[in-house]
Amino acid sequence: MQNNKKNLINDYPRFAVVGHPNKGKSSIVSSLALDDSVQIGDTPGTTQVKRGFPLKVDGKVIYELFDTPGFQRARRVLAWLNEHEPTSADKRPDVVRAFVAEHRDDEKFRDEIELLEPILDGAGIIYVVDASKPYGPEYEVEMEILRWCGQPSMALLNLIGNEDYREQWKTALGQYFRMVRTFNPLTATFRDHMDLLESMAQLKEEWTKSIKVAIGILDDLHQQKVEQSIDVIVDTMVKTLSYVYKKEIKGESATKKEEESAKLGYREQIIDTEKALEKNIEFIWNHRSIEKMENILVLDELGLFSKESASIFGLSQNELMITGASAGAITGAGVDLMFAGHTLFLASLIGGVVGGVGAKIGFDNLYSVEILGQNIGKRELSIGPMKNLNFPYILLGRAIYHASIIAKRSHALRDSFELEDEEFFTEQIINGDMRKKLEKVHVQLRKGEEVKKELLEEYKTVILRSFLGLLR
Amino acid sequence: MQTKYNKFSIKSYLDLSQLIGEYQGSHEENRVFALKNERLLENPKKLLLLWTEKNIFRVRERLESKDFTDYFSSLSNLLAFVFLLIGFFTGLGLLSYSGNSPVNIIYFIFIAMVIPLVSMLFSLFSMLSKGDLLNFFTLFIPLTWIEKIFTFLPSSKKLDTLNEIFSEDLKKWMFIYRLQLFSILFSIGLLFGLLFMVATQDIAFSWSTTLKITPIAFQEILELFAKPWTIFYPNAIPSVDLVELSQYYRLGEHLNPEMVKNADKLGAWWQFLFMITVFYAIFLRLLLAFLSLYFYRKQLDKDFFSIKGVDLLLREFQTPYVSTEAPKVEKHLEIKEENNTQTKETTRRAYSHIVGWNFSSDEIRLVNDSKEIQGLEVNTAGGSHSYYDDQKLTENLRRTILLYVKSWEPPTMDFIDFLELLIENKKIDEIQVYPLGTVGRYYESDRKEIAVWKRKIEGLKSKKVWVIDAE
Repeated sequence: MQNNKKNLINDYPRFAVVGHPNKGKSSIVSSLALDDSVQIGDTPGTTQVKRGFPLKVDGKVIYELFDTPGFQRARRVLAWLNEHEPTSADKRPDVVRAFVAEHRDDEKFRDEIELLEPILDGAGIIYVVDASKPYGPEYEVEMEILRWCGQPSMALLNLIGNEDYREQWKTALGQYFRMVRTFNPLTATFRDHMDLLESMAQLKEEWTKSIKVAIGILDDLHQQKVEQSIDVIVDTMVKTLSYVYKKEIKGESATKKEEESAKLGYREQIIDTEKALEKNIEFIWNHRSIEKMENILVLDELGLFSKESASIFGLSQNELMITGASAGAITGAGVDLMFAGHTLFLASLIGGVVGGVGAKIGFDNLYSVEILGQNIGKRELSIGPMKNLNFPYILLGRAIYHASIIAKRSHALRDSFELEDEEFFTEQIINGDMRKKLEKVHVQLRKGEEVKKELLEEYKTVILRSFLGLLR
Repeated sequence: MQTKYNKFSIKSYLDLSQLIGEYQGSHEENRVFALKNERLLENPKKLLLLWTEKNIFRVRERLESKDFTDYFSSLSNLLAFVFLLIGFFTGLGLLSYSGNSPVNIIYFIFIAMVIPLVSMLFSLFSMLSKGDLLNFFTLFIPLTWIEKIFTFLPSSKKLDTLNEIFSEDLKKWMFIYRLQLFSILFSIGLLFGLLFMVATQDIAFSWSTTLKITPIAFQEILELFAKPWTIFYPNAIPSVDLVELSQYYRLGEHLNPEMVKNADKLGAWWQFLFMITVFYAIFLRLLLAFLSLYFYRKQLDKDFFSIKGVDLLLREFQTPYVSTEAPKVEKHLEIKEENNTQTKETTRRAYSHIVGWNFSSDEIRLVNDSKEIQGLEVNTAGGSHSYYDDQKLTENLRRTILLYVKSWEPPTMDFIDFLELLIENKKIDEIQVYPLGTVGRYYESDRKEIAVWKRKIEGLKSKKVWVIDAE
């Protein structure tokens, strides 16, 4: 029975993240497990019991990480172990096992039992230290206990503060661990994450295959998340840009109050759609606990609908003129094609000029308000689709930026984030070449036309390119 | 057990469309479902149909497919009956023989062959066209107008709403397919009318035209019409004799005496008319019906996979479900705010003992010099000392103690054990814990680090122990 349990346990690699209290063990686990539900605190003892984070694919565990409480009475544990020093080193793990068995119900060693148990069950050791603080001999006690366990081990240098004592630490840790790596869970990118897994794969030959599989899976998962993000962004763009708000009115024409209320309804819907998009993106990237973001990113009336905000993510007046001109030229080119070029491409030229002028005007006139014709005795006030040329770029810029921040954001972070300066975004997110391609779709949506699948695919590709550019 | 998921129809489309609007399932649930039905992973349509069947109970409102099929089948049945009846009575009307003048077969040929061919041509145009052009062609199809009449019925409102779900292409193929079916029913009615009249009356068929067509030329035309059945039904091709005999002139007081003399032979025309109806009105229409059914199904297939959300669902079926979260929910620790009850802002200038927790003697001396603090005795604890060494040390300490600690290292239970030994020592009057920052920061500590120490010391509820917060 005991053997069966042991076999099952050893089926996949397990890693116990251990160390002194408050050295970022939970941050590392949170980051590696892509789970922001882990409590991370400045107070020692935030993690009270060990917690397993299995990487499962279709229910099958590929590897498991353990977040553990920090050492509390390491000296007394080592003292006990030394008292029971066996005759040969190969028996040392049995002594540690005996310690756990003897003190399982001893409240005094609760934390040590919690952290030693997964190791004695076969987990590899990931010993975490804060390399922004100087090395101290008190750590040697912990490292000695871990050495007694006889499991493959590595040390991670976490830089919590601004100082850097890595060299000091490396000299000391190198005497106890086969591998010493730097990993900052707060700034680690997806690539850093994969590199760390590569290092973990080297700890034990039998684990290499599983970890390589895990790397492949996580790579695929990352790719899927990117694709899902683009899909939801494009869906939201289509939905928002073609959105028409309708409201029944009583009289022959809409009163000022009816018009204002309809405008408000329209704006609220647009803002709600953007909020829903953000939630969706956060869900895709497994960020369930971001609370402060809404204050920064979610739009209020002054946000999306003011020139000030428009200039952050949207286009400048001149860029708008160019975009408007190219949009007009697209329409004009259609006319040229119909006449097989016999208009000497005059239509494109006229279209371009009209489009450009339209863009200038459109900056202030956001959307059209229309009274729809009588339909079985009913009159409707209709608002939308948004005719402002800048609007799609504001919306898209915000969406891509938000998605890129969320995609890059470590799950160990618990703070909010801020927008960067405007020049960065207009250049990085949507350049002139992209704009031309995007505008083809925007023109159709603005007209309330259905966009062809092929065109939408091209639209997605442009957005994907921009998104990947920001992920780098 | 045979399940319904093998049947793919407009109902499947509507059911999936309604279900997916209300319920999508999580990736995990969808992947588990797909793995349970792994043999269907290569057949996404069947997998989607099975998924719909298993989850349709989640739809809270009445199934739209029920409304649609109820209304649509009753409308279709009614129209089918009407078309059959119209066909039958058209047949009766065309073949009604007053006894005075014979029945002109040209009328029948016109209804059984020319009109169906023209109508089929419009159907073909409609099949090939889209948008406004399609709308233009359908204007020439009577079914368009008949169905428009039905849209005034109150019960058709629901159908209007449902119609919005369908794509324009699907609506087109539904209409064209329906048109072929009703046309076939009309022709079957016409055929029954012909057979009924032939069986119940002795009809004298003739042909008559103002155009100058000789019987031989007319026979050649008819022979051309009859080409498709020349081999297997030669009796259904009118002979030159019969054509000559059947020519009827409106002017003249009496029928051609030859006609009257050979009245029994004139009935032979019915076989030709029968085949005209069977081949042109029914057989060709059937071919068109199969063609439109093929395209209708193809479009339905295409639209089925274009339902919003199906892409994601299929992706979730195919994509392994990866989870990295902990199954065990963490009990979050409640952190109390420090209230500074055991805090001092300044140190004494001298202490009975200065103890460095995890510090070396040299480091302690450096701090003392830097802070200008004196101690009668300087000791080290923690670090490489054993617990028992520390125990012994606490017994020898007296009066006032300054305890240096590393501010960035939070107080472990090992330290608390040591502190409790000091508290228990009755000879000690006061213990001041001084959290120091790194040398690089000139011993200055972070606020957050100090707060951790304050909270821990306050938690001991001892009036003997104080934290130095020398900000």
